Amino acid sequence: MNDSTLFRRLLIGSTCAWITLLALIPFLMLVAASFLTRGTETLVRPEFSAANYLHLLSPTVFSMAVDSTVLAAGAALGCLLVGYPFAMILAQASPRAQSLLLLMVMIPFWTNSLIRTYALVMLLKADGILNNLLVGSGLIAEPLRLMYTPLAVFIGLIYTLLPFMILPLYAALKTVDPRLLEAGRDLGAGPLQTFWRITVPLTMPGIIAGTMLVFLPALGMFYVSDILGGARTMLLGNYIRDQFLVFRDVPMGAAASVTMTVAMGLLLLLYYLASRRSGRELVQ
Amino acid sequence: MKTIAHALFLTLLVSMTAVSSGYGTDKVLNLYIWSEYIPEQVLADFTKATGIKVNLSTYDSNEAMYAKIKLVGKGYDLVVPSSDYVGLMRRQGLLLPVDAKKISNFGMIAPQFVNQSFDPGNAYSVPYMWGSTALAINTTLLPAETVRSSADLWKPELKGKLLLPNDPREVMGLGLKVLGYSVNEKNPDHLRQAYEKMRTLMPSVRVFDSDSPKQALLSGEVAVGLVWNGEAYTANNENKAIQYVYPPEGFTLWLDSFCIPRGAANVEAAYRFIDYVLQPQVSATISKSMGYSSPIAKVSEFLPAEMNNNPIVNPSPQDATRGEFLDSLDEATLKLYEQYWVKLKTR
Repeated sequence: MNDSTLFRRLLIGSTCAWITLLALIPFLMLVAASFLTRGTETLVRPEFSAANYLHLLSPTVFSMAVDSTVLAAGAALGCLLVGYPFAMILAQASPRAQSLLLLMVMIPFWTNSLIRTYALVMLLKADGILNNLLVGSGLIAEPLRLMYTPLAVFIGLIYTLLPFMILPLYAALKTVDPRLLEAGRDLGAGPLQTFWRITVPLTMPGIIAGTMLVFLPALGMFYVSDILGGARTMLLGNYIRDQFLVFRDVPMGAAASVTMTVAMGLLLLLYYLASRRSGRELVQ
Repeated sequence: MKTIAHALFLTLLVSMTAVSSGYGTDKVLNLYIWSEYIPEQVLADFTKATGIKVNLSTYDSNEAMYAKIKLVGKGYDLVVPSSDYVGLMRRQGLLLPVDAKKISNFGMIAPQFVNQSFDPGNAYSVPYMWGSTALAINTTLLPAETVRSSADLWKPELKGKLLLPNDPREVMGLGLKVLGYSVNEKNPDHLRQAYEKMRTLMPSVRVFDSDSPKQALLSGEVAVGLVWNGEAYTANNENKAIQYVYPPEGFTLWLDSFCIPRGAANVEAAYRFIDYVLQPQVSATISKSMGYSSPIAKVSEFLPAEMNNNPIVNPSPQDATRGEFLDSLDEATLKLYEQYWVKLKTR
């Protein structure tokens, strides 16, 4: 065996071992725990039960799941509306400006998102920077009620997750052949029509990828709604954390966690199928 | 996403045990305590006095500490759970018995803090700091007389101006106290009544926050908050308009105590640390810098007058008698709490 194959095997082997040890085995443990009963002495008692999954269907838990989904979908839509124009400007800028703009998208991303969420508090609170500016300039008399509102949660989620939307959109927009846009114009399409009928369909894989990359983490980012939304509504992420840490009901928390993971997996599968189909359409 | 976080958490636990067990014994104390709960200076002075190096690890919830002690068990010599978790960990055999004879300063503790229901005879715990959870009012936003009792929180003028802890025990405890029940109530009927009472308070609640409720109070986002006295003390130091009220219906008292976990490797060091911290002047230093109350009887001799006379740190005896310590709940009651907590937070 020569050195390079050995190296390759080591590399692949250690990655597989890493994933097995730290992702697959814990996940299988969660799956196992989710079908067991809670125990006082050992956290989990080896006694089969599907009650945890049935409990997830109860009206309160179900409406909480709906709330989480609506919030995450709203964040994804917001990111798309903010991210798409930016990605278009980015894709059309000069190469130097492109790398600079990309750097500006990435730099905040290097800071821990929890810290950035606290920074938003400084910005949004009643005596915060934004309100002081608005009141000081005489635009408003009373500070705006921004903190602890759904709007603040959306601002927080969109701010945190925007790079996940911009980058796939940018990648997709870069691959759009400018000659196709020219051809559209030559054939009499206005700017809106070229956008709707050429740019949007061609960047659909990027739109879907960005939406997924925002939607999935937004489902679990409970700290944003806790810090900026005042923890008023319970989301799936809060629920899972509370089960493990507050109520010590490991099987229930495991069941909620597994359900969420499976739902996310299904969405990723849908994405894979959709991107394969749109890829095939492009070829045809 | 969740799985990966969980996996990382477990690795972290394993690696931390590996690191901490690598040290020799007795010249080291692995202290696991609430964040921002002991001044650096006290640790440095302890090391100077005894030669024992302190490895400090912190947690921000009892649950996190409990999970580590329960799942890993080793690596820590001293933990500081709140009263209900002392009860829970003692009942589950997670703690080593404490031999009060080995602690020469044990007698310094004021009698109202020893021999409580969560640990009869202090067989497993030694009090560290205590305080209350009561009402803080920003009197520039609301006249002080608006809120004199817990029942006043239901007044219409408080709509959207109230902060509650993000903690099911405290929130349900408020409802229980308003109805005249104990905060450790186990009767399902009484718990349901408390839930229904709290349900009607939800329109008034602007935010649930246990991490740093003083922020929302100081910035004027809320006018009234159910907060720990340490938070109220700091807020009051920054803004004298923030006042603290011990409601006549009663309130929860909290007491955090030193406990030695079953897997402790440096038990002698743990005893020496407890004994050191129980000295009135050391306890006074901690109380002064953290704003929590010391359970040591003679501590007032070492505290400045403004702290001794401050009712936030030092409630009058008639106020203090209305307080009640939290004890741990059984599984069935905890399940009820879970259901009511989710219901309170969903529409």
